[in-house]
Amino acid sequence: MDQQGAGGDAEVPAGLGLTAAEYEQLRSTVDAHHRYAVGEGQCSSLLAQRIHAPPEAVWAVVRRFDCPQVYKHFIRSCALRPDPEAGDALCPGRLREVSVISGLPASTSTERLDLLDDAARVFGFSITGGEHRLRNYRSVTTVSELADPAICTVVLESYVVDVPDGNTEDDTRLFADTVIRLNLQKLKSVAEANAAEAAATTNSVLLPRPAE
Amino acid sequence: MSMAQVCCDSAVAATAAPVVGAEAEARARARAERRSRAGESGAWKHAVAAGTADATRKRSLGAGELLVARKHGAASVAGRRREMEDAVSVRDAFCAEGTADGGRRDFYGVFDGHGCSHVAEACRDRMHELVAEELAATAADSSVSAAAAWTVAMERSFARMDAEVTSAGGRAAAARSSTCRCDAHRCDHVGSTAVVAVVEEHSVIVANCGDSRAVLCRGDGAPPLPLSSDHKPDRPDELERIESAGGRVIFWEGARVLGVLAMSRAVGDGYLKPYVSSVPEVTVTDRSDGDECLILGSDGLWDVVSNEAACEVARACLRRGRAKWCAEAAALLTKLALARRSSDNVSVVVIDLRRRNH
Repeated sequence: MDQQGAGGDAEVPAGLGLTAAEYEQLRSTVDAHHRYAVGEGQCSSLLAQRIHAPPEAVWAVVRRFDCPQVYKHFIRSCALRPDPEAGDALCPGRLREVSVISGLPASTSTERLDLLDDAARVFGFSITGGEHRLRNYRSVTTVSELADPAICTVVLESYVVDVPDGNTEDDTRLFADTVIRLNLQKLKSVAEANAAEAAATTNSVLLPRPAE
Repeated sequence: MSMAQVCCDSAVAATAAPVVGAEAEARARARAERRSRAGESGAWKHAVAAGTADATRKRSLGAGELLVARKHGAASVAGRRREMEDAVSVRDAFCAEGTADGGRRDFYGVFDGHGCSHVAEACRDRMHELVAEELAATAADSSVSAAAAWTVAMERSFARMDAEVTSAGGRAAAARSSTCRCDAHRCDHVGSTAVVAVVEEHSVIVANCGDSRAVLCRGDGAPPLPLSSDHKPDRPDELERIESAGGRVIFWEGARVLGVLAMSRAVGDGYLKPYVSSVPEVTVTDRSDGDECLILGSDGLWDVVSNEAACEVARACLRRGRAKWCAEAAALLTKLALARRSSDNVSVVVIDLRRRNH
């Protein structure tokens, strides 16, 4: 991701799919959570997904560090590593062991929960081990509510990762962006379905009772 | 590692699910024909009593050829992969529309699933039915050549199979699969290879989509004849097709479409359309008197066993002269693949193509 020009307004990053007005509302979130010191041999990327569901409904799915398969593709199973002190609590330092479906260039991934801020709706994790080619992968996902031009939830996900030997920055971004884009599309599908179901439940409760 | 599952004629017959429609009709017709030929066999015995040597020899050969079902063997093992996602389909006399000379048609398929097993299972359960339906539709149109008719029928069958596994009905089918783990939302990241062979009296027709393979073992020491070409993303024409469609192939543990999938064609994998296509490549090959067998296998076999080595194994089993040599060859090939540390599921079907199947 390009460094912001000193003092000037940055253009909306290419390929993000957001309008200038939308990006302006997200600028402080991007500055606070989606900027990385990208070193030599690393690359970084930012993706966005609009979701027509309340931000709290989207956040409820995103924050499930213990159950990423609800909205992520390619996961065969996920198990939290037991932590006697933390019990079931999701707090920074927790580890999960992800098993990946067949046919992909990965089989397992050990991942650490870095950030879980329910007030700000910020979630971060890094990959610490496993059988795959993504070294020093670190990611942040934020859930934001936009009001202009229409009420909408926008999820931003960014990452920084080493470029593997034999591949280019473009290769690495293409692979990681493909996976993240698919996951964000599924998140949209899951969150909107959940919101629709919740709305239907609410409507049925509020409907006038038939005359007895 | 799962135990090997070895199938042969009787096992396949025992496990075949009841099927209504074209296949049931084909089976009924085959049974009627067998009863009719039994009558002829009686007549032949009478001819022996009459002492007409020439008539006896001719009838004996004909009866032998017609009365015995085409021999085959199939074997599948999970191997070093965590679970079994391959499926194999063997459907004798699967098509009610016979060939012009009234001969039989047998269907064989190997389907190597990825992401989950339900697409490969759907192919195993439905592909032969779709091919039979499309052959019936194509037979009505006599204006096209035999090879063109096969291409049309196979392309339509594969397109319908692909549509079935990616539609809502496909998700319902996935829900019924005992081994499927997909959630209620889209299963777009599941797919399967499909290498399908139809064996007739005079031709072998192969339709392939993905990186499983069909190889013909011709006799007299001739080199093996590939009847399919693997759809790897870095095959020059596949690479060109993918990039023309706006996709990219990157080397991420081998050549992969968008760095994700290691084959350029598959049934399913909706999320990678149009880069990963379900259009099969179709070949129609005339049979020769010297042909020994046809081998279908998943890449778990072909990644570690060459076409030549596979044919040598099959030929060695053939020369031992045992009745179930095809099943032995299939089992031996899976063991060879495992011994060579194949890292994938391995599935093999071996079909006896000798003219006189005694």
